[in-house]
Amino acid sequence: MHTIRLIVKNLRRNPIRSGLTALGIMILVPVVTLIWSILSFLDAATEEKASNLKAIVSERWTLPSQMPYSYATSLSEGASREPDDLRPEDSMTWSFFGGSLDPKTRTFDNSLFAFALQPQKLLTMMDELDSLPADQKERFGKVVDKLASNRQGLILGEDRLAAIDRRVGDRITLYGLNYKDINLEFEIVGTFPVGRYDNSAAMNVEYLLAALDAYPTSHSGKKHPLADKCLNLVWLRVPDRSAYETIGRQIAESPLYTSPSVKVETASSGVSTFLQAYRDLIWGMRWLLAPAILVTLAMVISNAIRISVRERRTEMAVMKVLGYRPNQILLLVLGEALLLGAVSGAISSIATYVLVNNAMGGVKFPIAFFGVFFIPNDALWWGLAIGLATSFLGSIVPAWSTRSVRVVDVFSKVG
Amino acid sequence: MHSNRFLLMTLAVLAVAVLAAWLSRIPIKYVMRNLLVRWRTTLLTSLAFTLVVALLTVMLAFVNGMYALTESSGQPDNVIVLSEGSTDESFSNLGFSDVGDIERQTGVARNGETPLCSKETYVVINQPIADPPPGRPRRRFLQLRGVDDPAVSAKVHAVTLYDGGAWFSDAGVQRVDGDNTSASAIEVVVGEGIARELGRDRSEQQLASAKNVERLDVGDLVAMDTRRLVIVGVAQSAGSTFDSEVWAKRSVIGPLFGKETYTSLVLKADDAEAAGRLAEFFNTQYTKASLQAYTEPEYFRSLGETNRQFLVGIIFVAIVMAIGGIFGVMNTMFAAISQRVRDIGVLRLLGFSQWRILIAFLAESLMIAVLGGAIGCALGYLANGWTATSIVSSGPGGGKFVVLRLVVDLGIVGAGMFLSVMMGLLGGFLPSCYAVLVRPLDALR
Repeated sequence: MHTIRLIVKNLRRNPIRSGLTALGIMILVPVVTLIWSILSFLDAATEEKASNLKAIVSERWTLPSQMPYSYATSLSEGASREPDDLRPEDSMTWSFFGGSLDPKTRTFDNSLFAFALQPQKLLTMMDELDSLPADQKERFGKVVDKLASNRQGLILGEDRLAAIDRRVGDRITLYGLNYKDINLEFEIVGTFPVGRYDNSAAMNVEYLLAALDAYPTSHSGKKHPLADKCLNLVWLRVPDRSAYETIGRQIAESPLYTSPSVKVETASSGVSTFLQAYRDLIWGMRWLLAPAILVTLAMVISNAIRISVRERRTEMAVMKVLGYRPNQILLLVLGEALLLGAVSGAISSIATYVLVNNAMGGVKFPIAFFGVFFIPNDALWWGLAIGLATSFLGSIVPAWSTRSVRVVDVFSKVG
Repeated sequence: MHSNRFLLMTLAVLAVAVLAAWLSRIPIKYVMRNLLVRWRTTLLTSLAFTLVVALLTVMLAFVNGMYALTESSGQPDNVIVLSEGSTDESFSNLGFSDVGDIERQTGVARNGETPLCSKETYVVINQPIADPPPGRPRRRFLQLRGVDDPAVSAKVHAVTLYDGGAWFSDAGVQRVDGDNTSASAIEVVVGEGIARELGRDRSEQQLASAKNVERLDVGDLVAMDTRRLVIVGVAQSAGSTFDSEVWAKRSVIGPLFGKETYTSLVLKADDAEAAGRLAEFFNTQYTKASLQAYTEPEYFRSLGETNRQFLVGIIFVAIVMAIGGIFGVMNTMFAAISQRVRDIGVLRLLGFSQWRILIAFLAESLMIAVLGGAIGCALGYLANGWTATSIVSSGPGGGKFVVLRLVVDLGIVGAGMFLSVMMGLLGGFLPSCYAVLVRPLDALR
């Protein structure tokens, strides 16, 4: 207790230095926390799960995957043909409709890509939306009901809504980007819960299919070029790895999917392939950026402690005269650094968590199809750990040097 | 980072600092000696600058490489024609019947009787990789560009091949010795970047007998599930998006991968001005088909949205790191001042005014910053020429997977030095003001 009191007293003796060092830690810890949050999310997204898996069925070769909608029903059943065949627990089909508010000029702000799907699947199959807290789920459920009852409905993310400068209840016309000559009129029926889908949009797939069916009547009986390619992905929920393998085999062996042929992969494997393009960026964040910030942090602390030790050599000599052992003095200096690092780091990570998750609605950093990242609960102890680790690394050398303070040397210079 | 304004701003700040030092006749030797006496602290503080600046340099070099790639990919006298509303080839579908008429329009340059029109189908393939070496992916996206006439396309895009290579044949396929599969191998020309990337999939055994260990070369085969791609040429395409592409005969790969239509036409005009007029014509006056035409530089510039997003992220990280560094400098300078209170008192009694003292300490802080920044820039410069994978796109959906080279230019060095100097100035300012407030007699008492 006495030592802790002494440590606190020492830190308070030079408030400017302690304050500046604490501020340095508090500024740098959030950056590392943000980087690690992004990396841990991507790691989790690409980690193969053992249970409650999601599988993606897509066209075997090309990107974007384009399959005939006739595949939808049987793929949603996991290509099961016999009563004994395994069926997925749940499924969802995705078609992508890209449109621009301006038929002539497409910009980032005036265009959007919507998932065309069965509305109720938004609540049961979409990542994160399938695990909303009860109150949010109830609220979003009402929006989904509107989409189900209004075929022309459109759900938008908050950011996308702001980007196109519209409000819930407004009607908009989207001029097809990927579906040439298919222009759809929508009514914005609600928004996604704030977070991952801030830049997304969802529409009722029946509306797209109806537009494709109606296309020949206005185009001399010719089908739309994408009429037989409008199914982009099928998502399947399976209980475990073994069920995934079985359903994957059922689909691969089915004679229904030959032109085009399809492939089945776990969601994590699909995400990994997409993230390949960002491989070096992610490597740089993991092995260059975060370590460099940690080293900078350690150096800021080291500098402060080194200065502090140099200024207090006389005091340390006095302490030795008073009977303090070298290791006690070392612990005292180390303790100052550790306390400063731990407290500043912990405050910083808690503040980052609250600020990013509650005030900012996540960090917007688009990588592949992930647009927003949140600080995980685990990050609450990262700041403490970062503060402790960098303080220890930064202060161990100057603290160690206090052991060699020789009373005679110091007092020979005094006076 | 084409602009060198940061370098100019840095030089301007330093010039002002030198001028102020000279005018105030501050004892530079005294400042230098202090830095040398406390060399450990000086070095440690400089190292913080070094790290921040080196990191900034590497990160900016990455974005610079992306900008360089998107800006150097287009020929100024080329016009790229897509279906209306498309800003990306992936979503463009041009009708077969429209193509003949488009290439015959006035303004399209000709090679004899042949219009210089590259008719292309661009597809992105999900390539499974059998037995990848440890740490390598099991799938990758491969960008295939099918062209009708490789000679015309090469002329339009000004792409040439390395010695020993040739463009694919009219058939676009060939039998390969020792290939027991029933289908012929598809002849392809690969960009140098993707040749290097694909080359990394080879096992040690394959590398031992490889013609070229750095990248795939003419004659090498690439597995594509049941089909094989045989490389007949490697394109000298460094610095353009074509560096990451595989070119093949359109009539072979289009039907094979379910893309029966053309995605884009690239038309050569007589010069950049004529290209602008031609693009304008297709966008506003051409009525036989709904088209979206861009001059190539304009099109590739539009793929810079990702670059902008990365740049914003980098600036944010750099600023936060710099603020952290500033606190470190402040600590050093406050300590330097508190140690030399008596010196300050003596200097004041010798006749040095307050603002001279301020400049002396600011100069000290700036010297640390310049030293650390210069080392940081030098370290960051080592990244010049590194290759990295990334993606360039114009927004949601689409985009191109690219292999790029990191580019450290004067603009980036200037930005690094500017950040360093600003850190030094801001970090040194408060402590220097504190030094100014020291009263000579109190200091000596």
